[in-house]
Amino acid sequence: MAPARPGGELATRPLHFIWIVDCSGSMGGDKIKSLNFAINEALPAMRKVADENPNANILVRAVKFSDGAQWHVAQPTSIENFRWMDLSADGVTDLGKALKLVAEQLKMPPMEERALPPVLVLMSDGQPTDDFSSGLKELMDQPWGQKSVRIAIAIGGDAHLDILQQFVGNPEIKPLQANNSESLVKYIKWASTVVLKSASSPTGTGQDSKGAVPIPTPPPPSGYDVW
Amino acid sequence: MSQLLKPGQVVTLGISGAKCQVKQFLGEGTQGEVHRADLDGKPVALKWYFPEYLTVDVRLQERIKMAIERGSPSDRFLWPIELASAPDLPSFGYIMPLREPRFKSIIDMMKRRVEPSFRAVATAGFELAHSYLQLHAKGLCYRDISFGNVFFDPDTGEIRICDNDNVDTDGNPGSIRGTPRFMAPEIVRNESEPNAMTDLFSLAVLLFHMFMMHHPLEGKKEAEIHALDHAAMCKLYGTEAIFIFDQNDTSNRPVPGIHDNALVFWPIYPQFLLNLFMRAFTDGIRDSNHGRVRESEWREAMIRLRDSIVYCGHCGVQSFYDLDALRQSSGPVLTCWACRKSLQLPPRIRIGDSVIMLNFDTQLYPHHIDSNKVFDFSKPVAAVTRHPNDPNIWGLKNLSGDKWVATKPGNPTLEIEPGRSLAMAIGTRVNFGNRQGEIRL
Repeated sequence: MAPARPGGELATRPLHFIWIVDCSGSMGGDKIKSLNFAINEALPAMRKVADENPNANILVRAVKFSDGAQWHVAQPTSIENFRWMDLSADGVTDLGKALKLVAEQLKMPPMEERALPPVLVLMSDGQPTDDFSSGLKELMDQPWGQKSVRIAIAIGGDAHLDILQQFVGNPEIKPLQANNSESLVKYIKWASTVVLKSASSPTGTGQDSKGAVPIPTPPPPSGYDVW
Repeated sequence: MSQLLKPGQVVTLGISGAKCQVKQFLGEGTQGEVHRADLDGKPVALKWYFPEYLTVDVRLQERIKMAIERGSPSDRFLWPIELASAPDLPSFGYIMPLREPRFKSIIDMMKRRVEPSFRAVATAGFELAHSYLQLHAKGLCYRDISFGNVFFDPDTGEIRICDNDNVDTDGNPGSIRGTPRFMAPEIVRNESEPNAMTDLFSLAVLLFHMFMMHHPLEGKKEAEIHALDHAAMCKLYGTEAIFIFDQNDTSNRPVPGIHDNALVFWPIYPQFLLNLFMRAFTDGIRDSNHGRVRESEWREAMIRLRDSIVYCGHCGVQSFYDLDALRQSSGPVLTCWACRKSLQLPPRIRIGDSVIMLNFDTQLYPHHIDSNKVFDFSKPVAAVTRHPNDPNIWGLKNLSGDKWVATKPGNPTLEIEPGRSLAMAIGTRVNFGNRQGEIRL
């Protein structure tokens, strides 16, 4: 028998979400363990955001950087199918190369002509060891780089906040300072859900009035322990 | 996962002082958590707010108290029943009825995870219009009508409306502006706060989604946008909002390959429904005070739509009788949207201004035969039947408590007592008491 009604699903636009993760030696031990844990924790909540935003086709990827930069998850993956393989930490901090990798993928093609603003979440605990500025320039030279929502999470007290602020590019959004694992979990959850939701459906409220996507206020940090 | 409430936690209910025990975490949103809880052996839903949220929405508790005092507009709302608190816990919550598993989100419908029939969709549309009308009649406004807070039973179309903690007295300022794509253009343009008029626009957008599986303002203009960010949305849904089927402005027509649902669904429906959507998104955009389609109009249209349903004799799908199309076209034929064969129309009964198609499963309700009656779909007054000895003879069974009188030119008058059936002969006039109907083909 013919289907009860014709047609297909509600039309969607892709929403690319990219984790950009520092895997340098200093991230070893508790930091990388917390990060791996936090991303896994965030996945069910991300699936819920995807479920509640039928206009967005959320596609997740990840870049890791230490000595050089590589795609950790290279294929844009729907959130139902996305699985996080734990990262390990070793090497230096080639953030510039990581941004170039992302910039390459934001060119059209392979980036679609019609999409929602991509969300880029950078997590780092220290100083870049390569040419960060040229990496950032390549990213921002891309129209999709300019339209992207960029969030930075500083892990621990040695992160270079100035660099992270340059990446974010919006003076009204500060890098988030995660000084313990609980805060890291919280911020990763926030970036992967609240920010994701804002990019799917920008509301116009919240602290960002100039950028492509208004970003609601992040949660307060947790606890008092320091790495 | 750190939660505010743990299973076993006991909270106290505001007015009664009754105790309510947390049983199971159900989910969380941006405002708080929802748990299944036990109140004297009865399961309820318990929502508990994040402490941070209370600083964002300062009038929250006041609003919920007001909602509890006013009472639910109808049983279709999952309405706050009592406030809940606990001495050792920050923040507060409230209890409301639990949503039964048979209710699915409209989002599930958008993702084609559930497939309601056209009849179920029309029923859901009726219940939505009816429910929001009752809410507005109480002097309230919902402020966030979108597909995230409406649920429906895909089999019957019965609805449930959730997230009633944003409901407020019409005219009060609030912190919620609505959901993008559903917000009225004047809200997108920052010219107005949510109110009952903006609710009407959001309702129209919701209904359009349910019937057309597409957004009313996403056509060529949407296709031309590369990055759909906040600024682009403000134009598309605010400053440059144009209906995709605007009769006078073709600048935003749906683009084949991108906006196919709109192109596929629009021609299926009868003209009277399309006219209503046309008004909702032309006058309804330009004139926020007087141009919007009212709930009573949607309600009437949904009933008329349900009454227009016919089945394709070849492939069995539901389609619609369209009197306006028949009058306009050169031939007296409607075609099936699925198999493209011509629709064999069943008899219909005309009662006053209503035309009801007499399908094998058609039922008539109190409002059909008595202009004084309100809508009540639990008590059918008539149903189409077949003769027990000859399935080719179709009849109309009297399910009401009153006698009908039927006349046909050249035939004796017939009386149909409750429980008896009248043969569906063309030209028969039926007197139901308050109203008269005529069977036609």
